[in-house]
Amino acid sequence: MDDIDAMFSDLLGEMDLLTQSLGVETLPPEPPSSSSKENNFSMGFADMNVESLNELEENDLDALMADLMADLNDTEEKLAAELGGQKEAEAPHPDLPPASHGLSFYPESSLSTPTSPERGPNTFSAPLADSPAPILSPPTLPQHAKLSMEEIEAQMKADKIKLALEKLKEAKVKKLVVKVVMHDGSSKTLMVDERQTVRDVLDNLFEKTHCDCNVDWSLSETNPELQLERGFEDHENLVDPLSAWTRDSENKVLFQERPDKYEVFKNPQNFYLWKKDKKTIKDMKDRDKELLVEENFCGTSIIVPDLEGVLYLREDGKKSWKQRLFLLRASGIYYVPKGKSKTSRDLVCFVQFDNVNVYYGKEFKNKYKAPTDFCFVLKHPQIQKESQYIKYLCCDDAWTMNLWVTGIRIAKYGKSLYENYKTSMKKAAITTAWTNRTAGTTSIPSTPSPTTKAKASGQANGHAPQPPAEPVAKVGNAPPPPPPMLPTQILPPPPPDPVLPPPPPPQATKKSPPATSVPRQLPSLPTSFPPLPTSMANLPPPPPSLSQDDSSESPPDFLPPPPPTLGFGPGAGSLPPPPPVSFLPPPPPDPAPPPRQSNIGAGAPPPPPPPPSASAGLQSTPSVRRTGPPPPKRTTPPLAAPGGGDFMSELAKAMAKKRGNQ
Amino acid sequence: MGQNSHSPVLMAVWDLSVTVEDLGADAPPITVSVTSDLHIGGVILKLVEKSQVKRDWSDHALWWEQKQQWLLRTAWTLEKCGIQADAGLIFMAQHKSLRLGLPNGLTLRLRACFSGPVFRTVLGICKMLNIRRPEELSLLRPVEEKKKKKDKDLSEELHDLTEVPLTSVSRPCLYNGMPAHFADSLQTEKVYKMLSVSQPAPAPEAIAKLYRPASVVDKAHIHSRWLDSSRSLMQQGVQENDRLWLRFKYYCFHDLEPKYDVVRLTQMYEQARWAILLEDIDCTEEEMLLFGAIQYHINKLSLLEPQTMTSSPAMDDLDSALQGLEVKLDGAESSPQDMLENLTAPELNDYLKIFRPKRLTLKGYKQYWFKFKDASISYYKSKEESLGEPIQQINLKGCEAAPDVNVAGQKFCIKLLIPAPEGMNEVYLRCENEEQYSRWMAACRLASKGKSLADRLFQSEVQSILSFLAMQQTNPNTHTDDSMSINTHSLVSPRYSKKYKVKQLTPRILEAYQNVAQLSLTDALLRFLQIWQALPDFGISFVVVRFKGSRKDEVLGIAPNRLIRIDLGVGDVVKTWRYNNMRQWNVNWDIRQVAIEFDGNVNMAFSCVTADCKIVHEFIGGYIFMSTRSREQSDTLNEELFHKLTGGHEAL
Repeated sequence: MDDIDAMFSDLLGEMDLLTQSLGVETLPPEPPSSSSKENNFSMGFADMNVESLNELEENDLDALMADLMADLNDTEEKLAAELGGQKEAEAPHPDLPPASHGLSFYPESSLSTPTSPERGPNTFSAPLADSPAPILSPPTLPQHAKLSMEEIEAQMKADKIKLALEKLKEAKVKKLVVKVVMHDGSSKTLMVDERQTVRDVLDNLFEKTHCDCNVDWSLSETNPELQLERGFEDHENLVDPLSAWTRDSENKVLFQERPDKYEVFKNPQNFYLWKKDKKTIKDMKDRDKELLVEENFCGTSIIVPDLEGVLYLREDGKKSWKQRLFLLRASGIYYVPKGKSKTSRDLVCFVQFDNVNVYYGKEFKNKYKAPTDFCFVLKHPQIQKESQYIKYLCCDDAWTMNLWVTGIRIAKYGKSLYENYKTSMKKAAITTAWTNRTAGTTSIPSTPSPTTKAKASGQANGHAPQPPAEPVAKVGNAPPPPPPMLPTQILPPPPPDPVLPPPPPPQATKKSPPATSVPRQLPSLPTSFPPLPTSMANLPPPPPSLSQDDSSESPPDFLPPPPPTLGFGPGAGSLPPPPPVSFLPPPPPDPAPPPRQSNIGAGAPPPPPPPPSASAGLQSTPSVRRTGPPPPKRTTPPLAAPGGGDFMSELAKAMAKKRGNQ
Repeated sequence: MGQNSHSPVLMAVWDLSVTVEDLGADAPPITVSVTSDLHIGGVILKLVEKSQVKRDWSDHALWWEQKQQWLLRTAWTLEKCGIQADAGLIFMAQHKSLRLGLPNGLTLRLRACFSGPVFRTVLGICKMLNIRRPEELSLLRPVEEKKKKKDKDLSEELHDLTEVPLTSVSRPCLYNGMPAHFADSLQTEKVYKMLSVSQPAPAPEAIAKLYRPASVVDKAHIHSRWLDSSRSLMQQGVQENDRLWLRFKYYCFHDLEPKYDVVRLTQMYEQARWAILLEDIDCTEEEMLLFGAIQYHINKLSLLEPQTMTSSPAMDDLDSALQGLEVKLDGAESSPQDMLENLTAPELNDYLKIFRPKRLTLKGYKQYWFKFKDASISYYKSKEESLGEPIQQINLKGCEAAPDVNVAGQKFCIKLLIPAPEGMNEVYLRCENEEQYSRWMAACRLASKGKSLADRLFQSEVQSILSFLAMQQTNPNTHTDDSMSINTHSLVSPRYSKKYKVKQLTPRILEAYQNVAQLSLTDALLRFLQIWQALPDFGISFVVVRFKGSRKDEVLGIAPNRLIRIDLGVGDVVKTWRYNNMRQWNVNWDIRQVAIEFDGNVNMAFSCVTADCKIVHEFIGGYIFMSTRSREQSDTLNEELFHKLTGGHEAL
């Protein structure tokens, strides 16, 4: 028994190291030569070279920093909450030692934890360090006097194993730093891990921008080389398609409104009854639209719009475009061979959708001498350059193109599309409701929203989610989800970063969808950071961090330069940095949160919130130490040596530098 | 009360003779003395007394042969019923045995109600067979089979359920995973299994022999066979022991819940499968191959004992956690612990030959030492050099792996299409033998989906590839595992059996099979149904009609949500009308014409050529009824509404 235990704790320890090192590792100064994406499992900070770092706005840096911190903490928190939750199920938590550890730590993240389990992939989570066991035992013991020692041991062991698994997973999670071009041409930098869906990232962006969260907001990718553009579907994992980009790719990720995204659910008649006369379509009653959607998306099988028509096909290798009669079926696109009928058995399969995505082509008239500019393309997502394996089709008009692209999406994604839409609708509805409410309740002193709004232009305040929640009366049209939770749910860490744009998406008025974009995916890479070194020299920060990481419980001091992180960790008081002010509210809310939560709990299904916070707090104690997962890396002997060569410190320095310049 | 006020005068007594069916065809009718104010119940009482047979007569009722109607209202007097001495009444059981052809092709003998409306009869049958949502099914007369040899007809296997008591419980309780009334005897248990498990693939010859509609008009004729839901079997001339088919008639399957709908789901699948095999519904070649692949998969799973479906490992206990670890641990082999090292993904190592058509550097197949690990293939000059840098490493994620196999010619190649930024790279791997091929092929397949060899699917993948290879073997004796060997011609319709030889067909079905191989039995059934439902022609019942003002026959397609006017000559859709826009529809029973009014003052009218207008009327009303069902009131069936919508003038 004992050896096994010993082995497990050993294992856990190892994994800890592993996780940490993987976490931000990125081999230190190694030359940029290695392009082996595959080998570099963990995060891809590729291209995080000096230029790009310097290029980043300060906000970006801060945000990024916060993201990083949050990300690392996040997983721990979740696990903590999860474990806590479990325990709680068995027995309520008595006061725990954690208290001593300054659990006041991240109130906001603890709040967020409850929701996170909802996200499938994230449910598990990470490195809680080896501490869980000790912590757990105290609470459990008293309560479960009845439980035999063995049971408890077994339980502990199980927990440890779980922990080990989490760590392993966490260690393997691939992360990308992504630059998203906003609708106004500016850009935001986010860290996205491979478990996050586009929906998660959108929610995250909603928090960081003032947009109105309507269902049209989407993330899309552009490929300038092929002149293609595609809106990501909300259920896709963002990292996957980005991983297909080449190293020198000019591709970008855009955050913009795309009316075509869910048009089929708003005006299904345009897609399903397109053969009918214009008037019938136009006069369609809402009720009939709903029926149509129901008919086609709610049955046991999704019905694909019945599309057929003559399209131009770009001949392989030739420059000519040839007309063919194409038909869309759930199983693929078919064409009618010369001299044959349209009956199913005579159709020839042109393409099936398993391995291809559909893209809009831009200005193909010019590029490929297409008959019109209304072109779409089917290709394997990995293909990034001109190739015979890309299928180019051209339509007579924009509307036809829209019909086909949407039809193909329905055939390819089926029910997910509708599920995505419903989720978006909920999100939008809640936000609106919330906005209205906040608007109505502005008088309430505590409401942060006005402030936020004001600040919006300049810098955001970090405390997004929480505050708004308070004022909320149960008024809303938004029934189930407690408003406060929502924002958090997306990305647990939002509050921490002061820099982030205004949290409450609600206020945000509609943004014009300009959308120029300059996305930039930063693939993983340990490029050398020439300039930084210099800056580093002057900068004290790195060393301190080193020293403190393992021993010190209080992360606050350890990273002087990046205020954001600080704000995050230590809670209200300790933060001198000015910007945080706005964001400060959240921490103090300590008292506030509980009441708020209770409200929430009352009204809404997710009762978990309250307990988690408690439990999370408790559990997080251990994690306090963990707060610094980032720093630990530095500590890790091998890494430490290079001296600040690692990504985090680069970041820190870059930020400090910016500050200094200001 | 009626009688009292009617007249105080004594009613004349007269003799009524009634044939009692149970006494045999030759027995003389029994004569009872009655008065005109005697109610039916009284007549039956007298009859039973006089017959002097002691038994349970509760299921019996009087059938008025001459008028083709049942006298079921026992409180009505003879006078009210209009019965006089010359009425040739027959006293008979209301439930009689019926030979019922199921969607899966089997025939059951069971007791069905001959006196209630067919709608009710179907409810009873479905309750016995444990099929929920009986309103979606109905009975039709079978297509006459050409009887070449009489003895063949006799050989038809009957599964007897006549002994099964008729239950009155609304939701039968389950016993041993089946409704209690099936658990009574081994025999009935066997029957239940036939109902709830899909049948093995039929022989290709058997498929070819069955009737296949050759045209829309043929299909239309099938729909003239539906029985009238509002009248009883007796009234429609169905005799005891006649043969009828039970089929899903309305193609809107409400509230399908695999947990409760085992029989329903299975029979639905069978109906769909036969619709496809018999070309009752058209599909493309690609779709046919996929249907074939799913059938193969379902056959395979159905042969195994129904086992508990393994769901994703819950992290609840230690064992499953470790198991999960094993599965999830695709690539993290960097762990310091031995324990973890044991769990790392296995590799494949072999000498294989590679050929890259586009690379000029490699002409023809060249041998290298290959290593498969973590979803990618690396190759080295030789085994000895495999510790060093590979000549090349190929990541297979997202690739397409197709077989290029000729068993007879002992050619076992894997054709890989590997996506790269510049396009797809074509690579051929040549294996020595089946065994090696199956392992590498399985690995490539999994890798293309981003899974590693550690995945539990690997072994089953290898097995299925082997069994598909076996199917292509010219000598069937070399393969022993007969459960796996299926003639792939039995998975596709005769058209494709004719078009492709087995060895051409098999690899293509195998290819399609890759996408469904992981499905559980239930999911496979559902997938089959989904693809079926997604076919453009799904759920359309055809009737040949003559539109008002038109001088030629046309086809009316009746779909769950719309009516379709189809040109008989060309087969083109001329117009569609949606039920949503329907204001009202009327049937003129005298001239047998259906008239429908839609929103916007759109009117149309037609008379029916191939089917009675009652059938068309019932289809339309039936679909409208189906659309009124909602999830909330999931269990109550509004029978009255159904009859109101489908009954026609008799119902009013």
